Amino acid sequence: MAGLTLNHIYKRYDNSGKKKKVKNDFAVKDLNLVCEQGEFIALLGPSGCGKTTTLRMIAGLEEITDGEIYIGERLVNNLHPKDRNIGLAFEDYAMYPPLNVYGNVAFNLRAKGVDKSEIDRRVREIAPLMQIDDLLEKMPVKLSGGQKQRVNIARAIIREPELLLMDEPLSHLDGKARQAMRTEIKRLINKIKCTTVYVTHDQLEAMSLADKIAIINFGVLQQFGTPTEVYDDPVNEFVASFIGEPPMNILETTIIKKEGTFFFTFSNSNLEIAVPQRYYSVISDGFRCKMGVRPMDVLIGGPDSQGTPEKIATFENLGDERRIGIHVGDILMMLITEDEKRYKRGDIIKLEVRGEKTHLFDITTGDRIREKK
Amino acid sequence: MARIQLENVKKAFGKVQALDGITIDVKDKEFFVLFGPAGAGKTTILNCIAGIMMPEEGLVKFDGEIMNLTDSAHRNVAMVFENYALYPQMTVYDNMASALRSKLYKTDEAEIRERIQWAAKIMKMEKLLERLPSQLSNGQKQRVAMGRALVRNPSVFLMDEPLAHLDAKLRNSMRTELKEMQANLGSTCIYVTHDFMEAMALGDRIAIIKEGRIVQIGTGDEIYYMPCNEFTAQLMGDPEINLIDAEISGTEEAYTAKFSLNGEMVACSLPQDSGVYAKIKELGLKRVDIGIRPQHIKYSFEPQDGYFKTTVYSYESIGNKSVIVTDCGDKNHSQLRMIAPNGLRVAIDNDIYIHLEMDHAIFFGSETKDYIVRYDEANYIALAAAQEDE
Repeated sequence: MAGLTLNHIYKRYDNSGKKKKVKNDFAVKDLNLVCEQGEFIALLGPSGCGKTTTLRMIAGLEEITDGEIYIGERLVNNLHPKDRNIGLAFEDYAMYPPLNVYGNVAFNLRAKGVDKSEIDRRVREIAPLMQIDDLLEKMPVKLSGGQKQRVNIARAIIREPELLLMDEPLSHLDGKARQAMRTEIKRLINKIKCTTVYVTHDQLEAMSLADKIAIINFGVLQQFGTPTEVYDDPVNEFVASFIGEPPMNILETTIIKKEGTFFFTFSNSNLEIAVPQRYYSVISDGFRCKMGVRPMDVLIGGPDSQGTPEKIATFENLGDERRIGIHVGDILMMLITEDEKRYKRGDIIKLEVRGEKTHLFDITTGDRIREKK
Repeated sequence: MARIQLENVKKAFGKVQALDGITIDVKDKEFFVLFGPAGAGKTTILNCIAGIMMPEEGLVKFDGEIMNLTDSAHRNVAMVFENYALYPQMTVYDNMASALRSKLYKTDEAEIRERIQWAAKIMKMEKLLERLPSQLSNGQKQRVAMGRALVRNPSVFLMDEPLAHLDAKLRNSMRTELKEMQANLGSTCIYVTHDFMEAMALGDRIAIIKEGRIVQIGTGDEIYYMPCNEFTAQLMGDPEINLIDAEISGTEEAYTAKFSLNGEMVACSLPQDSGVYAKIKELGLKRVDIGIRPQHIKYSFEPQDGYFKTTVYSYESIGNKSVIVTDCGDKNHSQLRMIAPNGLRVAIDNDIYIHLEMDHAIFFGSETKDYIVRYDEANYIALAAAQEDE
């Protein structure tokens, strides 16, 4: 059963009052998503891509220009937000300062006139889940950011909503609290099995939490898939460079043919990489495109390596791993290694690129060029 | 071009002792990083060096000369802040020229042009010179702010979290670019950050600051492999180091460490070689905290020799790899994090078997939380000494 269905959703903000004509007038354009019951979906994209607008339309806080939204089997287009049976957790905690944590968590149920003993039962049930059992008597001002966000999420799920909507709930927290909270959210959703839509601009958060990620740019859905799918099999250059840190190395290349073998070549560089055989049907001698390869698929060759000798431009020792940058034309190509060796700028290494891990992208549209099946 | 020394510098704001006896000696042309959590006093140190603040006690020296009473404008320092502070009505070129055109420097226009072109080349912004700040991205704005500092040819660059504003991706790529420019700076640089990757990647040496005091000074490798206490160990590395509260027992021949895992006590023998055993014996320790970084815990889905059974608390992808979290089931709700590849079929609350690689362990005092010993200590001391020589 579908937990949430978005059917050809459009959103256009009315700009008639403004002097300046906005070029891309659709904030969200023909968005289709089906989220299964109990699935955790991340809406991911750069700021201004329309992900929060989408979330607000699902919540009913924003009108829809065109399209249909179903929560479960119900068409909710014309339902008031309070009748949509959703739980909301935003970046700001927006707690009631005169109420203690218990009062804040219980507030919505009290407003609905739920029986007092029932409220107490539910608060006591959720508190350990969010690890706020020791905080129930505290006032909001006494809480840390991480604790406030726990209370905030507890407040959203206590209503036992059909759909949980979260908008960047971790972006206020510092690194450590964020990491801990990520783990808690992941466990919580796994336990309560509530269909969840989660908005973030942080690809790491999306990758670590979501069952499926919808990557949006300029209001248009680019790709919808599991974290592994979007990482290993991106549909275009945008997705390829947005997912992963450091991002995929993407370089303009001219493919040349030498003695029956095709090679990627790059302007102002000696680097040559053998093109995987599977692409032979879609390329030709002199074919121009972009080549993408992830930093972990670029390797340092051993002493007998056939790899191209290249000079190290940057060497960053990050403790857990080391990153090396090599100039290929104007582009700094990054590689990651857990090798313990300490290099210096100017050292020569033999560079090997795992050809089978390369992706091809169209030079103008950025779309993936795939081998013919 | 200067050696910068602080000797026992103290500074208080009302009742708060912001700096409590800071002593550092930054070598000429060194890239020196001040690293610590928010509120540690890092920025106050910079401000004392710049002359924006007066320390109540202690000396600030440039090349051996006491600068405490020298006016900020005459110290020849260049600062770069987190917010770029560009003049919005001026082009990039004019922004960069602004300091040189001031009464203090009064440089002639031909030389200004030459210096700006040199700086623009280093900062890779030759094509941006005619733009206004409003036409620049945040990364470009920060580059202009750095370029403006560069043209002054200062004795020392003071950089206060210049990348903190930028989103994670841009921050990482700017850090790499900064690393590339570093070789061409040719000046002493003191750099404040709370990001351990910046500290590790950029710093020739790093000073760890906590509550107005210096906790440790050393190269990235020294601090990463031999952190002086648990606080420092936890700062370096993401996900952070696992700390296991363990009880030591044993005979003259073998020591075992007992600790709680998934609510049960398990025992694991300590390595006898490489000094760990000797040190623990010498100090007669009964309890230690064992520090193991997430990449040094191995896992298996089948029972194996030397592996302990536990359950998966969470499994999260962090890009090119994933983190498996398990619960220790002790009273502190402590967790162990380990690195695993992506795409494993791991379900929450499933069984998993883990192995701690004791030959990468760092041992800390159970009470003091200070460094005691690590496996193969001599090797890491030698590595540190080799780096010192360079």
